[in-house]
Amino acid sequence: MLRIENLTKVYDNGFKALDNISLDIPDGQFVAIIGLSGSGKSTLLRCINRLIKPTEGRILWDGLDITAANDEEMRLIRRQIGMIFQQFNLVKRSRVIINVLTGRLGYLNPLYSLLNYFPSKDREDALANLDRVGIRNQAYKRASELSGGQQQRVGIARALMQNPRLMLADEPVASLDPATSHSVMKYLELLNKEDGITVLCSLHFLSLARTYADRVIALKDGVVQFDGLPKDIDDDRFREIYGEDAVEVSVS
Amino acid sequence: MKQSPPSSQAALRRLLVVLAIAVGLGIYSYGWSVTNIDLSTPQEASRQQNVTNAMRELLSPRIFEQERTQVTQRSDFLIGCDEGPAPAAAAPREGEPYIIIEPTCGVPGDVVTVTAYNFAPDSQAEIRWIPAEGQSRPREVLGTRQTSIIINTLGGFQGQVEVPRISGSIGQTHAVGFVASVPSGPVQFSGTTHEVIRRMIETIFMALVATSLSIPIAAVLSFFAAHNLMRPIRIPLGNMMVAITLLPIGWWLGSLLLGALGRFAVDLGSGQLLGISAVSLPLIFVLGTTVASRSLGQVNNNDPAALLRGITRLLLTVIAAILVIGLLGGLGVLGGVGLQSLADSFRPAQVSTLGTWLVNALADGISGFGYMIGILGGLIDLFIIPISGILGAFALSSVVGRVTVPMLRYASVLTSHVLGGILGALSGAIVLAAVAAVAMSAALLSLITPFIAALIGGQIVSTLYNRLLSSTSPSTLLWRSGQRIVGWVGTALVFVLVFQWLNTGRALVDGILPSTQTVSFLFLQLPPYILDAALVGLLLGAVGGALASTHANFVLGDVLYNITRTLLNATRSIEPLIMGLIFVIWVGIGPFAGVLALTLHSIASLGKLYSEQIETIDEGPIEALRATGATHLQTIIYAVVPQIIPPYIAFTMYRWDINVRMSTIIGFVGGGGIGLLLNQQINLLRYRDAGVAVLAIAIVVSILDYASAAIRERVG
Repeated sequence: MLRIENLTKVYDNGFKALDNISLDIPDGQFVAIIGLSGSGKSTLLRCINRLIKPTEGRILWDGLDITAANDEEMRLIRRQIGMIFQQFNLVKRSRVIINVLTGRLGYLNPLYSLLNYFPSKDREDALANLDRVGIRNQAYKRASELSGGQQQRVGIARALMQNPRLMLADEPVASLDPATSHSVMKYLELLNKEDGITVLCSLHFLSLARTYADRVIALKDGVVQFDGLPKDIDDDRFREIYGEDAVEVSVS
Repeated sequence: MKQSPPSSQAALRRLLVVLAIAVGLGIYSYGWSVTNIDLSTPQEASRQQNVTNAMRELLSPRIFEQERTQVTQRSDFLIGCDEGPAPAAAAPREGEPYIIIEPTCGVPGDVVTVTAYNFAPDSQAEIRWIPAEGQSRPREVLGTRQTSIIINTLGGFQGQVEVPRISGSIGQTHAVGFVASVPSGPVQFSGTTHEVIRRMIETIFMALVATSLSIPIAAVLSFFAAHNLMRPIRIPLGNMMVAITLLPIGWWLGSLLLGALGRFAVDLGSGQLLGISAVSLPLIFVLGTTVASRSLGQVNNNDPAALLRGITRLLLTVIAAILVIGLLGGLGVLGGVGLQSLADSFRPAQVSTLGTWLVNALADGISGFGYMIGILGGLIDLFIIPISGILGAFALSSVVGRVTVPMLRYASVLTSHVLGGILGALSGAIVLAAVAAVAMSAALLSLITPFIAALIGGQIVSTLYNRLLSSTSPSTLLWRSGQRIVGWVGTALVFVLVFQWLNTGRALVDGILPSTQTVSFLFLQLPPYILDAALVGLLLGAVGGALASTHANFVLGDVLYNITRTLLNATRSIEPLIMGLIFVIWVGIGPFAGVLALTLHSIASLGKLYSEQIETIDEGPIEALRATGATHLQTIIYAVVPQIIPPYIAFTMYRWDINVRMSTIIGFVGGGGIGLLLNQQINLLRYRDAGVAVLAIAIVVSILDYASAAIRERVG
């Protein structure tokens, strides 16, 4: 259970990205976070694994206060939280298998890294995870040689190496075409259903949220505008979230 | 539509532009007179003649040479035709070289016509005046302004020389000599060419060694000089102060205890304790691998057993590290000597056949490798105590940090301020005492002490401003600029005060450095200057620490970044030639001094270039790896290093290219290489020999230029 209490983030330049947000997210839920650009979706996700330090408020994960953890404790918490990114954030020059293996680093002795050593168990797991996202045959290519959809699947495999209990996905399909988007979303759905991983996924398109999410949270200017079932978002709600002029488009 | 400004304003603006151009032109043209640009000097006939000669010789490099024998023919000449019968002219000889002079008597200043027959065609010759006693001298051939003669294709020559004025020569019989140099051997590379090639090889290796030595140091420094990596590094002020307070004790303990271990390991490695080493080597290996293979596991700061395990592991790691370093050093020394004697044992007595040449080359290679690892081992041997000190300081800070960090974290607000004051006083005193120890060594360095104090002072003043005026809105522009101005004023004020207090002016004006005479203070023996500086640090640290509290964030990354950047920039701004001057004083004339100068400059230069590459990398992977729970070190290895390897290779090649160019001239200050030779040749006015060196430099630099461009293109 992830509990967010009165979370506020004010950036150094004075921009208030999150304004007193409180949420409860039970284990195993697939939550879509929607909203316009700049509504605070990315900031919210990054506060959860503290890539961004919140200004005020608390985040409790199974009773553990993430906001109060020190660097070493934070590292141990992050190991259990996978994250995938809009720009995939792979090391483009490195091989796919190495990119996947880096997901395991939090569990390894840093001295191993000096020798570029990974235990054989981890190498097997990496190949198995690549198999799971359907690109085992690409394992020894450079990441830059893969297509966008494949790169995002490498990102998922990397996150899987952490054996995460929670997966944060920051606009995972915003850089992909509609068909590839669905394939990536399907893998996230699979992890949610098969492994019981809680998924928090920020999305631009409401249609994707309708298809995959158990619950939709809409942010607007850093506050929660809507929190409920996808089917409850009607035209009026939609305009509240996206503004008067918005028209819903769908990803087919 | 844009409104045109009133005409008066436009005119004023035009006037200002014209004025600015006029002022700019005035400043620029001042440069012409400052740099002595002048048209008359280059037109002087003698200068034009000199430069033509110098250029002609430079462009006629003495690459080849040929052995020559001198063929001399002479004919007598009586000074003063009234003094006796004129000597007879030589008789023509068929097929044999001979000369005829006309007339065969005369007074000084008369013109004598010399005609030569049957000499070797196209060979070089000169006409010499052979007096009755003393040295013969070459005579200038009238109308040519030089003494050198080229014999025509038929082997003949005709020219005129003047009878020299030699006092007391009237009545003596002198002679006119015609000396021809006749080639008598194969054309071969000149001695100069051989010397140039030898020096060129030395030069290229100087550049190679300097570049390779600077790479690892520059690579490490570049991480500290990269703003994007350093900016996020912040630690609680309390932890920082604890670490600083422990540094001297850790250093002392480390250099004492670990130093003894390290010294033991060096002796072990170098075979002085052969018996024990047979037993210890496997033990140390096992210890090292055990420590390395223990995975981190769960860390929980509230569990004393885990805390103890962590401390034990840390201490074991440090001990293993110093043992391994010491052993490597010792083995290097041992291996160096061993390899060199191994090479000598099978080196052939004389090199005659291809086989012996190959064996000799192998021996050279092994011996050279032995020399290198011997030096590297010796370096570790030399620095084992400081290395131990650093490791000890690090270990003690970490061990105590593990206990104090949680304590500091849960301290109440009041406690944190009180603790901040106490720890601040201690660490402030230590930092300023350390700075003062450096500052005592030179007048310019003595400015560092008030500067550091002023930085802390400025921080205190602006924090005070913050606290006292926290009721007003901190976001207004006025408030923020007020804080900045107050901060600067505070900085300046503290600087002046400390400058006066430490009597820094005396060092700057008179060059008199603070006395190194020590006085007793508590249980320490320190110079009064250091004690004064420590007192300043104590006061500033106490106030600053108490104001900030142990909970405040210390921007460790920014501090390290600024120190590294400042050092790199300062070093980079000093030309290697100037560094070469200093190193020549230290290690003597020769390539070693040049290598040191080039290495130091390359470290600064590559460090800057490397760090700029780090600042342009894609930060996405860093964020992704941080999100997986990787440590800082792991993030750098897997997210930063793969991205910077291609530009690092490119910049290193570029630097090698520059270093070859630099090492060609570092010899001008005694740094060895081809520059040393070139400098000597130019000083001796041997421009034809200098020409060979210049040609060699041009060839090597252009080849390397091309090669480095090709390699950079491939990796880029």
